[in-house]
Amino acid sequence: MKIIVCIKQVPDAKDVRLDPETNTLAREGVQSIMNPYDQHALEEAVRLKEQLGGEVTVLSMGPPQAVDVLRQAISCGADHGVLVSDRAFAGADTWATSYTLAKAVHKIGDFDLILCGKQAIDGDTAQVGPGLAIQLDIPFVTCVQKVREASGTELVMERMMDDGYDVVAVSCPALLTVVKDLNEPRVPSLKGKMKAKKAEFKILSAEDIGADSSCIGLPGSPTQVVDVFPPPPRGERAILTGSIEEQIEQLVEKLAVYL
Amino acid sequence: MLIVDSELCIGCGVCEDNCAFGAIEVVDGCAVVSDACTLCGSCVDSCEVEALKIEGGEKSVQVDLDSWKGVWVYCEFRAGALAPVSLELLGAGRKLADARGVPLSAVLIGADTGESAEKLIGHGADTVYRIDNQALTYFTDESYGAVLTDLIKAHKPEIVLAGATAIGRSFIPGVANSLGAGLTADCTQLDIRADDGALLQTRPAFGGNIMATIVCPSSRPQMSTVRPKVMQALDFDEARQGEIVDVAPDPASLQTKVRVLESVISEQDNVNIQESDILVAGGRGLDSEKGFKLIRELAASMDGAVAASRAVVDAGWIGYPHQVGQTGKTVAPKLYIACGISGAIQHVAGMQSSETIVAINRDEDAPIFDVADFGIVGDMFEILPLLISKIEGKRGS
Ligand SMILES: Cc1cc2nc3c(=O)[nH]c(=O)nc-3n(C[C@H](O)[C@H](O)[C@H](O)COP(=O)(O)OP(=O)(O)OC[C@H]3O[C@@H](n4cnc5c(N)ncnc54)[C@H](O)[C@@H]3O)c2cc1C
Ligand SMILES: Nc1ncnc2c1ncn2[C@@H]1O[C@H](COP(=O)(O)O)[C@@H](O)[C@H]1O
Repeated sequence: MKIIVCIKQVPDAKDVRLDPETNTLAREGVQSIMNPYDQHALEEAVRLKEQLGGEVTVLSMGPPQAVDVLRQAISCGADHGVLVSDRAFAGADTWATSYTLAKAVHKIGDFDLILCGKQAIDGDTAQVGPGLAIQLDIPFVTCVQKVREASGTELVMERMMDDGYDVVAVSCPALLTVVKDLNEPRVPSLKGKMKAKKAEFKILSAEDIGADSSCIGLPGSPTQVVDVFPPPPRGERAILTGSIEEQIEQLVEKLAVYL
Repeated sequence: MLIVDSELCIGCGVCEDNCAFGAIEVVDGCAVVSDACTLCGSCVDSCEVEALKIEGGEKSVQVDLDSWKGVWVYCEFRAGALAPVSLELLGAGRKLADARGVPLSAVLIGADTGESAEKLIGHGADTVYRIDNQALTYFTDESYGAVLTDLIKAHKPEIVLAGATAIGRSFIPGVANSLGAGLTADCTQLDIRADDGALLQTRPAFGGNIMATIVCPSSRPQMSTVRPKVMQALDFDEARQGEIVDVAPDPASLQTKVRVLESVISEQDNVNIQESDILVAGGRGLDSEKGFKLIRELAASMDGAVAASRAVVDAGWIGYPHQVGQTGKTVAPKLYIACGISGAIQHVAGMQSSETIVAINRDEDAPIFDVADFGIVGDMFEILPLLISKIEGKRGS
């Protein structure tokens, strides 16, 4: 089974904080990590490979330093890594990102399955996976929480819904987006780390993937950010005082509207 | 590309301070832009000497914007019921439609929808496009997506809204992508821009640490998924008049490659924590699955639902659908009571836009108190039973 996993490098949330004085994101020394959901997508891909044979290619669009997450993926069992990187991709929204990734997938060639995280924790959109599937004209299933059966040609899985889950079947090629419940990602093995150290990555530009310049980056993005501002401040924190009974008394008073 | 005109730039640093992404630095008296730039444009507006501009900004494929008219709401219907967010969106859509002077339409897709269409009219829709077909009993991205896409192509609405629910956030991205339309996820505020009638879509990003306002300047329709519980539904008005248009789906759109074998509604009540007004959330401070029972009791005493931190989901005390936070669900209930939760940023990201937050924790330095409106420092095993009986007493009386 040939599997492609889309991985995004994102800033680590615990480092992204709003500076209360300047109202900007304090990003000093911000660590970049592999998008948490993508770790579960990668883990499932490696498990499917171990079960059914085949190979796992990880794909990322981002600045040159995004090879770090590709390297990490190799140490966790991926076989190849491809980075699409070009200044012309800057400002891409989910439409332009889906388009770019689709072009890169065509360049990579044949595949049976594409796995994405449910969403990236920086943009929180959950739109790139479905968008990529549409661009590639293949079926997709979002929020997969469990793969029940997998053969080289068909998958049966559970898709998380608001009120429970649906059991769905799809034949390959298809695209899945995954949630955290799917599996427990492994830690890299020593062998994996060695392999990652030596790994080399294909870096593709907009021209390499044959992208239409009007479909990438800011010009290719139907949505545009016109304003960025801090969220409305919450009221002052208030720790109640008095004996426990008194505090509970006060709290129930304060919550009266909700009871 | 963000271009700095070095002739005009006076190196004042206003843009550097204004950049939310830390992408501008003044070096030797002139602004320098790094790779971190997202081309959001905040700096361009802030620059007093007009030394900054974004080039290649406009999407080159323009559509005839004026031929797109009307506001649409996709009204989710599953397992015999309308999703509450559908009615909230009709409330929001009504305001937008009135501001634009255009009609408001609802799209109802499903099987055995009964009186739902009439209900949508009573809640504000002028027209309901109803696609009621047995083949649409189960949701699939392909069938629902194809039906909605065909309708949009035929009627050309300028705005399409849908709930940011599991279903909305699954198939709407596919619809937007195939239409080449811009889509903004999980919006919390919608307005019409006075000068050109564009839809201003505001949403939290970076786990709620910043807000971004987004427009779709040159594509139609303008599409948004909207978070449940933030918009206000209109009261049902039986006297409201509207038209119900039954639409027969193209048989081709009912052919799907994904097959639904079974739809399992969770036995645990209220797994849909995003639709709940009151959430009681438990964390590792509960010590054990047994301790977690107190959370269920407190929730039951206020007709709320149960939420949890990742730590307790990982410990297996409760299922993943209840997890709040960065790798779980984002919730915005009226009341969120966090018990024995430290308030790690990944947890706070999922609940900080709740209307009122209460924290109970024995560690007075726990970061959860920074976002709480009311905090009690103390031992939960002492506090919760007292709180439960107090609430039960109050509600009983
Ligand atoms: C990539 C990534 C994603 C993550 N995503 C999420 C997410 O989506 N959601 C999430 O919640 N977390 C997430 N986390 C984990 C997060 O960082 C925290 O580890 C987690 O939220 C901690 O859960 P907790 O507050 O229940 O436990 P703890 O941090 O252990 O806190 C327990 C609290 O209970 C208090 N306490 C203990 N005993 C008592 C008592 N008897 N009475 C009163 N108070 C008591 C303690 O003082 C403490 O503050 C994520 C982490 C990572 C790295
Ligand atoms: N730049 C990118 N490179 C590779 N994969 C991406 C990129 N952006 C998004 N994805 C994939 O799409 C998923 C959803 O992202 P998003 O729609 O941005 O929330 C992620 O979990 C990734 O699997």
